[in-house]
Amino acid sequence: MLEKFRETQFYKSIFRGGGVPKSRRQRMMVVLNSVFLHLHPVRLPKHAVKLKFTWCMGGLSFFIFLILTISGILLMFYYRPTIEYAYTDIIDLAEQVPFGIMREIHRWGAHAMVITVWLHMFRVFMTGSYKPPREFNWAVGVILLLLTLLLSFTGYLLPWDQLAIWAITVGSNMARAAPFVGHEGPGAALLAIGDINFVTMGSDMRFALIGGRFMGEGALLRFYVLHCIGLPFIIMIFMAVHFWRIRKDGGISTPV
Amino acid sequence: MAEIISKKSATKEPGRRPPAALDKADTGDQISRRSFFSWLSIGWFAFIAATGGFFTMMLRFFFPNVLFEPVQTFRAGFPDDYTIGEVDLRWKNKYGVWIVRNNEGIYVLSTTCTHLGCTPNWLNSEQKFKCPCHGSGFFKTGINFEGPAPRPLERFKITLADNGQIIVDKTIKFQQEKGQWNDPEAFLNV
Amino acid sequence: MESFKHFIDTISNPTILFTSTLIIFFFIFPINDWFDKWNRRLKLYVLWSSKSMVIASILMAAFFVIGISDPDFRSIVLKPDNVPISGLIFLVYFFTWLSMHQAYENDAKLERGEPIDEQYDAPNDKVLVWPDLVYVEFIALILCSAFLMIWSIGLPAPIEEPANPAESPNPAKAPWYFLGLQEMLVYFDPWMAGVVLPTLIIVGLIAIPYMDNEPAGSGYYSFKNRKMSIALFMFGWLVLWDMLIIVGTFLRGPNWNFFGPFEYWDIHKLEALTNINFSEYIYIKWMNTGLPKSIIFREIWGIIVVLGYFLILPPLLAKTMCKKLFARLGSFKYSFFIMLILIAITLPIKMYLRWMFNLKYIIAIPEYFFNF
Repeated sequence: MLEKFRETQFYKSIFRGGGVPKSRRQRMMVVLNSVFLHLHPVRLPKHAVKLKFTWCMGGLSFFIFLILTISGILLMFYYRPTIEYAYTDIIDLAEQVPFGIMREIHRWGAHAMVITVWLHMFRVFMTGSYKPPREFNWAVGVILLLLTLLLSFTGYLLPWDQLAIWAITVGSNMARAAPFVGHEGPGAALLAIGDINFVTMGSDMRFALIGGRFMGEGALLRFYVLHCIGLPFIIMIFMAVHFWRIRKDGGISTPV
Repeated sequence: MAEIISKKSATKEPGRRPPAALDKADTGDQISRRSFFSWLSIGWFAFIAATGGFFTMMLRFFFPNVLFEPVQTFRAGFPDDYTIGEVDLRWKNKYGVWIVRNNEGIYVLSTTCTHLGCTPNWLNSEQKFKCPCHGSGFFKTGINFEGPAPRPLERFKITLADNGQIIVDKTIKFQQEKGQWNDPEAFLNV
Repeated sequence: MESFKHFIDTISNPTILFTSTLIIFFFIFPINDWFDKWNRRLKLYVLWSSKSMVIASILMAAFFVIGISDPDFRSIVLKPDNVPISGLIFLVYFFTWLSMHQAYENDAKLERGEPIDEQYDAPNDKVLVWPDLVYVEFIALILCSAFLMIWSIGLPAPIEEPANPAESPNPAKAPWYFLGLQEMLVYFDPWMAGVVLPTLIIVGLIAIPYMDNEPAGSGYYSFKNRKMSIALFMFGWLVLWDMLIIVGTFLRGPNWNFFGPFEYWDIHKLEALTNINFSEYIYIKWMNTGLPKSIIFREIWGIIVVLGYFLILPPLLAKTMCKKLFARLGSFKYSFFIMLILIAITLPIKMYLRWMFNLKYIIAIPEYFFNF
């Protein structure tokens, strides 16, 4: 039955080649013909499939990112980023929505992704895989680590509970102290003509982050947009470069 | 086409300006190598200026012209409502200030820690403000003495209304390290 | 049992904990030949044997199991957002062991002239992605999803009281992966700890391949030829990052005071933490005069100390301890490298100054928001 189905025009139109890939050539074609699988090369050094060597942490980071994207989109159907509703919407997500573990998946997934990204980086360091010709990809990876942390951090604010608001208060006040662009940072007082300061509470970096002089509605909305659109957009560009460069730099690192 | 021609002639005689191109530039129907580069630099300059302008606009986009924020000025009752020697917590939740009265008068302290903006707690038994986030401690006057806070708590403008009520204006603040606490509006003599 | 807990609480004192870690660390991860000699003499490398891993894991698990009977420890460990940290402790230990285990194995094999596992003869030794890699990935994904599902069903995501801008929780902790940063904020002014140091961490990480650019030692676990880079990375990652996270989670309590892991979080715990700036030490404590009015005179000593640290130490080190490094990197890369290292070392220096002398800032110019 299945064999017959594999012979139909319909099946063959989707999976080029048809049949179960048995020969070496067919198996190579599977990878080459699939838009998803051809993220991979066709063949690999044999240690690249050993868990003992790779720990699979890079792949898992990407997989968890996908889980977070999907669960995040689902959460957006119920969550309203306003001070009035944010907190109660989160409560409702657990209590009123069927299979109310979507927020758990999102939150614990975020924790897990931070850990897998760290461990991936650790593995890459310990195998010396950052060395030439992979320097640039290591740099891209560092940016990805930073973006992962920023994504986690912006997501922290959204429940609008005590934990959220104080973590963000502390975080955004660091921007207040940034040299030259924060109104309490060193050098900010130099950017003035006479009595008019250019960098004030209403025009510094912290203001741009939280959309106001005080933590409130503006901060919630800005962090929401950054969390749902801004940062994911940037991280996907860097991820594309990262994966592309793995292949271009010669695949998984091997001893010289 | 013009630049191709001039470049070609330039490669033929490296180091010397091709006379043919010069002549043609004089007649006006061909662009010389030099004027091409000056046009090019003007073009690049315009491009960078436009891009820069666009990014400035994007940056400016993040700073709205009107803010909808809570009122920063409020009436805090009569001076006699406050006990001498005590830190008054009644406006902490609503307006983010402590009102302290000592023997000479009344001052208003901001509840924002000067370190990273948490709200310290007033510990009456120890007579100090203690910030839970990073452990900064402040005396009753607002002077910092422990933990990472770099400077004392800020004080707000305090004045008396015609009917004898206290008016606190949070838009005007006084910082001790700048010597502003001696300002008459930073302290209400009672 | 009580005496054991008391012992743990005692050695959790930051000065003791940090000093012992610092001393032990470079013997376990020898940064140069001298430490390596002692590492071999003391046979510390047995830490990376399989037997040690089993013993250490059992000990760590036992610590948690016993600890959980203590109400104060339990309240920290079972806080939902702290669960990843307990997981992280085990994971970081396990993977550190796994990489070091393989590194020593490979080093020994290469010494004996045997081929290592990662050695391969292109293109004969290649395997096909379909099915060899794809099924490994598939299993990993399924296990990961299952794990996440179980975790999500078993442990509800935390939600605290609704936000109240007027009342900070006590203690107010950052998300766990930023606890290292929060700990730095205690010792540095926000512009340093919140802006400059994180930027330098990123810059420093990106700079690693340009500082350590010898192609040898890539593509397999090894330690012998990469002692310095591994020891330095491990120091930054295990001590200055992971350990500060653990300190922030287990040892920081109300009012951001230090508490032992089994100590009751007493809000009224009194600690003498009155801070003194370097200028006050000099003018008030030592010279017995008041602080000078002029900012420059007041802070000149601190500025001298800081400038001396950053300007005199690099050439001094280049002439003495880091001679070989200087020759290998050249002056530009060397200055860059040594600056990053010196800035990183200011963190432990400032921690000790704070713990032992209550010294707050070496340069303190709050008038211009410039403190160091």
